[in-house]
Amino acid sequence: MGEAIVITSGKGGVGKTTTTANLGTALALQGKKVCLVDTDIGLRNLDLVLGLDNRIIYDLVDVVEGRCKIHQALVRDKRVDDKLFLLPAAQTTDKNAVTPEQMKSLVEELKREYDYILIDCPAGIEQGYKNAVAGADRAIVVTTPEISAVRDADRIIGLLEQESIEPPKLIINRIRKDLMKNGDALDINEITTHLSIDLLGIVIDSEDVISSSNKGEPIVMDPNSKASLGYRNIARRILGESVPLMSIEDHSKGMFKKLISIFSR
Amino acid sequence: MSKQLVHIKGTKEGLVLRLDDQCAYAELVEELERKVSEGSIDGKVDVQLHLGNRYLSNAQQEELIAIVQSPGNMHVSKVHSDVITIEESNERVLTEQRETYVGIVRSGQIIKADGDIVVIGDVNPNGKVEAGGSIFVLGNLRGIAHAGANGEKESIIVASHFEPTHVLIDNLIEVMSNEKPFVKENSDQIFAYINRDGIISYERLQEVRKIRPLLSTVKGGS
Repeated sequence: MGEAIVITSGKGGVGKTTTTANLGTALALQGKKVCLVDTDIGLRNLDLVLGLDNRIIYDLVDVVEGRCKIHQALVRDKRVDDKLFLLPAAQTTDKNAVTPEQMKSLVEELKREYDYILIDCPAGIEQGYKNAVAGADRAIVVTTPEISAVRDADRIIGLLEQESIEPPKLIINRIRKDLMKNGDALDINEITTHLSIDLLGIVIDSEDVISSSNKGEPIVMDPNSKASLGYRNIARRILGESVPLMSIEDHSKGMFKKLISIFSR
Repeated sequence: MSKQLVHIKGTKEGLVLRLDDQCAYAELVEELERKVSEGSIDGKVDVQLHLGNRYLSNAQQEELIAIVQSPGNMHVSKVHSDVITIEESNERVLTEQRETYVGIVRSGQIIKADGDIVVIGDVNPNGKVEAGGSIFVLGNLRGIAHAGANGEKESIIVASHFEPTHVLIDNLIEVMSNEKPFVKENSDQIFAYINRDGIISYERLQEVRKIRPLLSTVKGGS
């Protein structure tokens, strides 16, 4: 029996979809069977980030309305051998095409076959959010060190606490070392004390993330990126390992140290 | 009629009308009308109505007040009754209760209480605590606090870290983005209350004892 994790944020553009794609890939690289579910019906783009957009035949709404079997709609990611699958969202309809009950039974069905089901939640707190949260056992809240993102994360945590799921965990995405040092961005401590939930991990802002997303290759495939390390650490924490929080400081470490850190992982 | 249904007594504060609580209401009205019309008082006088163990509806109370005030020189300052309905008593119990909320009041959440409320946790920006009585936050107050929401002007708002966006007491509202040098300099352990001039003001926690002595309910101590 697998575990369903919803990845949400409230605010848009903080990196829910990127996080879902990367955590999914990282978990699959660790040998887990992972299914990603895009619930952003009408505005799907998880398939693009994974580079699977041209292989979609059926989608989530087709499955829910019984036009196809669940396994027919799943798109396999060939790069991670038989471990990573995507259930894409429909693009031609809207979020009201699915009900929370339907989502719940769909996720239940997926849980029988997969170790992890990552649900990519749309922005907002309306129907799409309710659908995404319906089947989840755990929740991950993504935020960035901006006051607007933190405010929305606070709201969404409040809503998640009303649900009968485990207390949500936090990922702080797009950390800019320079801004944080100057005090121009909120620092990690400030955010965690304000939201007062457990920190699951941090991801350093990197241009590679954007370029790799555009290429349809999740950044975790590239072991040399600092952002990739952040996602890999989070994946290991999800699996129950205790990994110390990476430092945001040593951005310019030498080749030798880099090698050590790769081997010591 | 042998028994007097309306006793009139003079006190320093004015007249006290003690109304019999055993007779029929109609009889009482009749007697009261007679008593009031035959009285000859110079100038204005305050009158207190003592109803004893008789329960009157609001409409009946108003009728009695109207009768007393009809000659024009008497004014009813207070109606005193020894009985209340179960409903009123329940309401009173609720408003005197002190409720406790454990957790964080997050953005968009509203926590309400009929009486006082103790929040063990923070109140985050955009979160709101609304109480009929006073609000005590054992954490950071960074959201909105509305004390005395049902008109209790004696209510206060206390927080161990006092940095709200809005402070409301009774129907007064204060937006904290305005310059408040006192609050800015001493954001720890202060409280808000309505002062004698009827405006919201702020004071160190140590002053509560002086400003709201009735808040203390523990008897004794040395």
